[in-house]
This record gives sequence, structure tokens and C-alpha cells, in this order.
Amino acid sequence: MPAIFTVDPRSGVPIYLQLIEQVKRSVALGVLAPGEQLPTVKQLAVDLTVNPNTVARAYRDLEHDAVIETAPGRGSFVRADGVAKQTRAATDVAGEAVTQAVREAKSLGLPAAGVRELFESALTRWFPEEK
Amino acid sequence: MSTISIEHLSKSYGKFLAVDDVTIEIPTGSVFGLLGPNGAGKTTTFKCLLGLARTSSGVVRFDGNELTPALFESISYVPERSVLYEWMNGAEHLEMQRRTFKRYDSKRATQLMDLFKLDPRKRVRAMSKGMRTALAIVMAFAINPETLVLDEPTSGLDPVNQRAVLNLIIESAAQGATIVLSSHQIGQVERAADHLAVLQNGRVILSGAVDDLKSDRKIVEGIFPSETIALDGLRRDARIERLDQSGRILRLTVTADGGGLAEALSSMGAQSVRIVDLNLEDIFLNAVSPGSQTADVVEAR
Repeated sequence: MPAIFTVDPRSGVPIYLQLIEQVKRSVALGVLAPGEQLPTVKQLAVDLTVNPNTVARAYRDLEHDAVIETAPGRGSFVRADGVAKQTRAATDVAGEAVTQAVREAKSLGLPAAGVRELFESALTRWFPEEK
Repeated sequence: MSTISIEHLSKSYGKFLAVDDVTIEIPTGSVFGLLGPNGAGKTTTFKCLLGLARTSSGVVRFDGNELTPALFESISYVPERSVLYEWMNGAEHLEMQRRTFKRYDSKRATQLMDLFKLDPRKRVRAMSKGMRTALAIVMAFAINPETLVLDEPTSGLDPVNQRAVLNLIIESAAQGATIVLSSHQIGQVERAADHLAVLQNGRVILSGAVDDLKSDRKIVEGIFPSETIALDGLRRDARIERLDQSGRILRLTVTADGGGLAEALSSMGAQSVRIVDLNLEDIFLNAVSPGSQTADVVEAR
């Protein structure tokens, strides 16, 4: 399995959160298909040179969020229960990105109306069919 | 495999208190990073942990028991200053390990020598600093230890071999070994360790899970329309560790996720608010020398 995840250990964002975000993104984008096996904790820890307990923590949280499931002795798999989970993962990832963009815009001093205008023009650009 | 508990450990050399009431718990299977400036007490802590120095007070327990000679069979220690014999070569050092440790694995030893491209016939006398460090690492890992105590395990190594050592640490941890290491390279601890403690002047000044320390510390920065900022409400806020004001800029170092305080600054009239993540180096520097990081910012009147 190619290393589809990367982490930046020097970032202030905890490594386990970086991993969770990337798995969710991969599931949302279909890079990881339902039923697909994830690397083992040990394998991923060695591939990324990060602490195995940190990887295990990310996997536990992903299980808790119902993104993956672990079969003892067989490994961890992307949950096969369909589009709903993927959409939720996509909403999580996109929601975080929108929150950050709005915070950034506000911190640059833009008023709410200006942010809305930007958002509308982005919508028009990326969803032309819904105009 | 054992949980190592260091309880109220103190060690003095004459009048000098090298380690001062240190309590640390190192969970089984974890990689524990011990950080601190030179002379903070890291090496002394290691020596007391391994029974190589007599403690002045306090105890060290391995799964609740004191250290026994039998336990030593499964512990590897790589001291800061190499204890290699100048007149012996690599193969002879490995032979020494084989005779001392029942767990010695000669196949593994050969793989490790190859990994670091060490010539078994080369005498230590003729080895560079990096080769000596690598040989000490090979000796430590060749016994498949359950507990590893590594004092600056990558000093003198090039980046490729530093990464090789980190990977050995990570593989051992994945197999359940408990590892304690000190390093001046915070980036290595940030990768390999799940728990850490920072020592300064013999005392623990910060400890916890690496990811939690990062989640729990942020800088929240607000820019206000004027230099008059009503700080009274913030001064009593327990989430704020530091508060710095420089003109219209207010900077809070917080022990929370920052979202709540960012909103508080907004509602106080800040025109611009941002939350800055702190990496381990920032957190470390903040702990050992509070203020150095934001030296350009003056404390509010």
C-alpha cells in the first residue's frame, strides 16, 4: 500500500488529529473505498516514523466515529455502511475548512456581508449548474 | 514489559541537588521523552532509574517492584558517554553482549550492523563519533530488550542514521517495549514519543501526553481598535497562562483549545482574532524560559 497519509510532526496540530483528518478526507474522496483495509498500526507508525500509540489513538477515535472498524486479528477496515458515513466524513472535513476560511476572513477585518459575498461568488464558480 | 514509576526521586551530590523530587510514570509500551536544558538532571535521573547511582530519597519501581538483577536481562541502556572499549572491535563488543544477555539475537545483530554500515572488524579507536553511537545502538537493540533507556541516542549521527534509530525505537515500541529517551532534538521526541516530561534544575516543570500538550496550548491573538483594552475580565480567567499586550495587539497563551477565548476577544471588540498552534519546541521554550518567545511584547500595565 503506498503511503497515502502524511503527517507534519512539527506542526502544532496533534499528530493523531492530523491522521484522523486525513483518513476522513480519504474516505470522503473515495481514495479509501468502503471495506478497504488500512495499514496496521505498526506499519503506519513505521512508514510515517511516528509513535505507534499515537496511530492507535487515531484508529480508536476513527472507530468511535464509525469511519472504520477493527476485526481482531484481521486488521482495520473502512466501514462498509455506505454513502451516509462518507457524506458525514465529507461534511466534517469541509465544515472545518469553511470555519477556518471564515475565521481567516474575519481576522483580516472583512465584515460579514463581505464574507457572504465571497462565499456566494465561490458557490457560483463551483456550482454553475445550480444557478 | 513494565510500567516504570519514579516516585519522589531526589539525588544530591554533596550540596548540589541534581534531581529534586521527581515523580514520573512511564506507561508500558510507551516512548517517553525526557527533555531539558544541559544540566537539568536527565542523566542523573536515568542513572537512578537503573540503580547505577544511589538515590538520596524516593523510589523507582518496575511494575510495582524494585529493580532486580533478573530484570536487567531485559533492559538496554545507552549512556550519553559511550562505554565502548577503545582496543576492541565491533564483533568483540557483540560477543560481549552475547555472553552477557540470554536474549542476544545474533541474526538481528548482523542486520543492525549492516543497517548502520558498520565493519565488525574495525576497532573503536578508529571509529568516528557517529560510528561509536551506532555501535552502542546495535548492542542495545541486539538483545531485543523489553525496556530501553537511551540517553541522547542519536548524537553524532547523520540524518539518515538518526532516522534509522527513530525507526528502531518505533518498531520496538510497536512490539510492546517501553522506551525512555532524552534528546536535545525536540523534533525527534515530537515524532517518536507519546509522553514527555521537561526537567529544569532537577525538577519536572511540564509533563503529559505529547498530543494533549499540543491540543491544550494555543496562542490567541487579537488586534483591537485602540490601545485601551478592558483586561479585567481576562485577568481572572483560569484558562490564560500568560497575557501580553503590545499596543493594540493582545496575545494570550492559553491552556484550552482557544475557541472560547477567541470569541471572547471578538466580543470585547477585537477587529481581528487568530488562534496560533504551538509546536513542541514553542511549548518547551515557553516552559524553560517563560517570556523568551514573546520578548518583543511588553506586559500590560
